[in-house]
Amino acid sequence: MSSILPVAHALVARKDLPVPAWLFAWAASIVLIVSFFALSVGWRTPRFERDRWRPLAAWPSRALLAPPAQVLYGALGVFLLGVAVYAGLRGTEAPDRNFALTFLYVTTWLGFPLFSVFFGDVFRPFNPWRAVGRVVGGGFTALAGQRPAHLRYPEKLGRWPAALGLLAVVWLEIVYGASGGVAVGLDPHAAALAAVLYSGYTLAMMAFFGVEQWCRTGEVFSVYFGMFGTLGCFGVKDGRLGVRRPFAAATRWATVPGSAAVVIASIASTSFDGAQEGAFKGALESTFNRLVDAGVGLTSALRLTDTIFMLLCFAGVGLVYTIGVRGMAGVPGAPSFKKLRTGFAHTLIPIAFAYLVAHYFSLFVFQEQAQFTYLLSDPLGTGTTDLFGTASSGIDFRLLGANAIWYVQVGALVVGHVLGLTLAHDRATAYWGDYRQATRSQYWMLAVMVAFTCFGLYLLSVANA
Amino acid sequence: MNSNTAKALIGVAVVGVAIVLLIVLKNGGSDTSATTKGVTTIVVKNGEPVGGIAQLTYNKGEEVRFKVDSDVSDEVHMHGYDIMKDVKAGGSVSFGFPATIEGVFEAELEGRKEQILELTVNP
Repeated sequence: MSSILPVAHALVARKDLPVPAWLFAWAASIVLIVSFFALSVGWRTPRFERDRWRPLAAWPSRALLAPPAQVLYGALGVFLLGVAVYAGLRGTEAPDRNFALTFLYVTTWLGFPLFSVFFGDVFRPFNPWRAVGRVVGGGFTALAGQRPAHLRYPEKLGRWPAALGLLAVVWLEIVYGASGGVAVGLDPHAAALAAVLYSGYTLAMMAFFGVEQWCRTGEVFSVYFGMFGTLGCFGVKDGRLGVRRPFAAATRWATVPGSAAVVIASIASTSFDGAQEGAFKGALESTFNRLVDAGVGLTSALRLTDTIFMLLCFAGVGLVYTIGVRGMAGVPGAPSFKKLRTGFAHTLIPIAFAYLVAHYFSLFVFQEQAQFTYLLSDPLGTGTTDLFGTASSGIDFRLLGANAIWYVQVGALVVGHVLGLTLAHDRATAYWGDYRQATRSQYWMLAVMVAFTCFGLYLLSVANA
Repeated sequence: MNSNTAKALIGVAVVGVAIVLLIVLKNGGSDTSATTKGVTTIVVKNGEPVGGIAQLTYNKGEEVRFKVDSDVSDEVHMHGYDIMKDVKAGGSVSFGFPATIEGVFEAELEGRKEQILELTVNP
């Protein structure tokens, strides 16, 4: 029996064309040449280990960090989450006409990484759960006359809850959502329910471990967006907004255990989404058919197949990174394997961002037109409201041609590759006193980066093929 | 880094580039788009496309033309171009429009959420 594997993105009425062979060849060649060139011109002393933070003038600090401003941003976050949940529960079941899905999975999930890589951790002030948690904590302190007591967070657990949570968020959309035997997407109702459940879970964890502790290690969105924020050039220190050297804050990000798992989960989940209609299509179909032949129902078989391959992606990306780290550990003068595994995890953040841009850039551009026109005017998608008079407009797919999309995709991968190499080289000069050994160690990270970048290019070149 | 190592690295890079080019030249030939002329007919039986999802490829600026013969009554929705036409059970409906938007698009039986066509428009 050969069933047709039903895979489709809920929101997309248009898919990208595969990157043509000539562009793939150019990009892969540039990647290789740039990589080997980088090895021969590297600097000898670390430049990113200190972020050289210096404060900005007082007024931007006040505008962003004064208590009334914090209340305002927090309230806005809570309000928008509320709108999304309400629209999901009460609105249309059509994923593309309901505010909830585009807001949660495109505007927020893809928008915050985009702004964070330039500006720093911009999600933090809007984080609705942090806002609620702080209000509750403040209320408790006022009533009880003492600050709430928290459990000690198990240090070893680190960011693993966030890494697993990240996989779960993506799984909900592209595995659970792509089900039912026909090409439908995640039901907005299910997305809203998931948001409610996640809110309950997050607030409970904040009550157990404290708001800031949970945001630092467990809360998926804080950790994930914050990770990209370490590349950005603005940061807060001692209640003051300042400007810092771009990418430098990332060098300290991975010191919490489990951080490598977060960035690996990001690369893996994007890879899976990119590969399911292209590179993995055949393998997915045969696994799916085998499960169906074994008597598993269509929907369960599809979800099981996708889950297996998503976990395989996670294992695969983790394995490539681990091999690179193992290799580095063999270079004379190397610190311990554990230190290396933590110490180079941040070098994958630019790669993770490049993967996001490569796979979701066009989706973001097109879907944001919907977000700011008909989804804003008619959030429930029922055709009964027109709040801003834009309910009847549509998405202009002529906005981006195939060539523009290809160049952005390939450009993102090449730039991400160079940034990853730069951060890795810099970390190596900090870890190895001897410059020659530092360079030798980087043959390994170079192989890791080339593998990820060329795999990314490969995914783009066979998409939908 | 001494000059021998540098030479070795450049050598490796050149070999790598050569391999990439070889792979591409080997596979790249089949990439030319097969433009479909005339009218393709998609036959829908029991609400599903006979022979699987139809594939149509055009270059930008050409006229997209296809016909749907259906044994069920539904609405055919050409996504992206956002063209919707009703079809009655046992009837047929024709589409003809210029390929102005690049990308890959689906046409489906809207009521059944059944994809019947994948339309590719190359630049």
